Amino acid sequence: MDGLSHETARSPRPLLVVDGVSKHFGALAAVDNLSFEVMPGEVLGIGGPNGAGKTTLFDVITGLDRASSGRVLFAGHDITRAGPERICHAGIARTFQLNAGFDTLSVRENIEVAAIYGHVAPVFPGFRIRPVIRRRVDAALELSGLAGRAATPAGELAVLERKLLMVATAIVTQPRLLMLDEPVGGLTQAEMDAFVAMLARIRGEGMAIILIEHVMRFLVSLADRVLIMHHGERIYEGRPDDLANDRRVVDVYLGDGAADLIRAALDPGVVP
Amino acid sequence: MTAPGKDLVIGVVLVAIAATVPFLFPVRYVITQMTLLFIYAIVVTQWNLVLGVAGIFSLAQMALFACGAYATAMLGLYLDWSLWAAMPAGAMIAVVVGLLIGLACLRLKGPYVALLTLAIAQVAYLVIITDTDCFIRTETRCEPFTGGASGLRRFGDLGLREWLGRDWIIGNYFVGLGLLVAAMAFSVAVARGPLGLAFRALRDNLGYARSRGISQFKYQLVVFALSAFFTGLAGAFYAAHFKSVGPTIFSFSLLLLLLAMIVVGGLGTIWGPIVGATLVMFADEGLREVQDFRTLGLGLTLALFVLLLPDGLTGTASRLLARWRGSGS
Ligand SMILES: Nc1ncnc2c1ncn2[C@@H]1O[C@H](COP(=O)(O)OP(=O)(O)OP(=O)(O)O)[C@@H](O)[C@H]1O
Ligand SMILES: [Mg+2]
Repeated sequence: MDGLSHETARSPRPLLVVDGVSKHFGALAAVDNLSFEVMPGEVLGIGGPNGAGKTTLFDVITGLDRASSGRVLFAGHDITRAGPERICHAGIARTFQLNAGFDTLSVRENIEVAAIYGHVAPVFPGFRIRPVIRRRVDAALELSGLAGRAATPAGELAVLERKLLMVATAIVTQPRLLMLDEPVGGLTQAEMDAFVAMLARIRGEGMAIILIEHVMRFLVSLADRVLIMHHGERIYEGRPDDLANDRRVVDVYLGDGAADLIRAALDPGVVP
Repeated sequence: MTAPGKDLVIGVVLVAIAATVPFLFPVRYVITQMTLLFIYAIVVTQWNLVLGVAGIFSLAQMALFACGAYATAMLGLYLDWSLWAAMPAGAMIAVVVGLLIGLACLRLKGPYVALLTLAIAQVAYLVIITDTDCFIRTETRCEPFTGGASGLRRFGDLGLREWLGRDWIIGNYFVGLGLLVAAMAFSVAVARGPLGLAFRALRDNLGYARSRGISQFKYQLVVFALSAFFTGLAGAFYAAHFKSVGPTIFSFSLLLLLLAMIVVGGLGTIWGPIVGATLVMFADEGLREVQDFRTLGLGLTLALFVLLLPDGLTGTASRLLARWRGSGS
């Protein structure tokens, strides 16, 4: 598995291709003829005003919603019509804006169930949890900093812990692409820093990441490339440092004040 | 102590108590009612997997029970099978029917599953009671294929009378107890293992569970099929023990009785169904004198528990225990 991901990291073929994808809800085009690519190991940041279609785009890519038109390719395979289970096994794991969790399961069980079923579909899962799965679960508990909460029911977790748990259940499926929907929304500055540290470790393993975030400082400091959506369309795609200079992005999304803050955050020398 | 260790200790104690009953109370009525309790307890431990662990509101369980009972009776009656062979065959037929019902329910949500499964059971009931065409004609009367409203009889028994004489009923008692132990061990293994995790994850959050690779299609069919096996076997044993089977097993009051057992004991808990089955069965005995109030009492009990103690007795007890421990430490 490791050897494979290093191989793909060197090859120039895109990991994810979104090709002319649209999603209509009645007359509303939530995603409108959108195309972009993600390379192996790359971090793509997606921003845009409320209702721009970011979450809908995630739903379409991960098979929870069906594209009205267009194609999605992952590692060269067409996954446009695949269900969410198959897409997970193909190597895409996502988190949810609404902090999803298996609330009656303990933190450990949440991660266990993802580890057992998320990497490959077991023909029959058996009656015991295999040691290799247990080790993977322990590693994910460690990485997410939730080891001390292993026995707590997920329904009793605070917001930050729920977000960390969603990431832990995602990475334990050993994805090649991790998709995070507003991972730090509603967190304090210190909590956000903890999250950034964890994502840095995940990145180190060569995983590609797409992250949706309204917190621009977080987005531009992590992303290699930024895509800004508005009314389901792309209004900007490019380097994070040019973002604040783009007139259209500043007008429809950032506002002048935020643009100045981003420029400050991107002070040369801080970000490569 | 670990959870499996605790389960084992509780199980051994309960079996030890049950094993002494026929010798402490060698009364035919007691032994018969206890055997019936075992049969119902098997049904509710399996139903709990679907209803409690997987959170699917299926009311098909008595139809699967009837599948096992009728299949066993018919194999014995028409094909002269030994009931020892007919019983597992009946259970397998229940598994197939369970799979088909699971398939039919796949795209339905919550209350619609209850409606569909209840409708399936009603159709089966109506088909049986309106069946009057002669299939076997004897000198005095004709018998329809399904036995019709009066049911099937004279299809054999477990044959323990030849070994045990008058104590055959105690022999049957232990067969029932053995089946219950197997059914309970099976349901604990399923509920506590990887399968139980998948069922509970799908119950807690379907979209999230599917996004973590858990196939709703596969595991909904799996839970229906798994729970159908021992349910069908319980039906098969019911037929073999009482040496008759009739459409009364489809009755709404019986369905209510079993549902009350699960809810009183604790939906989705490990030991709740057994505790509930025992308590409800004894309460039902107590109400036997006042026949008219039995169904009413049952309905009221069910309503009270749903409203006031939705976790049932074991669920509430373990929650209180956890809180007490939490405040103690
Ligand atoms: N199931 C649905 N049915 C109808 N309309 C929907 C549905 N889901 C989303 N929409 C609409 O599609 C548009 C895009 O919504 P989406 O949730 O994708 O936006 P978003 O960019 O994620 O916004 P936010 O930043 O607030 O999370 C919105 O106008 C929303 O109301
Ligand atoms: Mg959104």
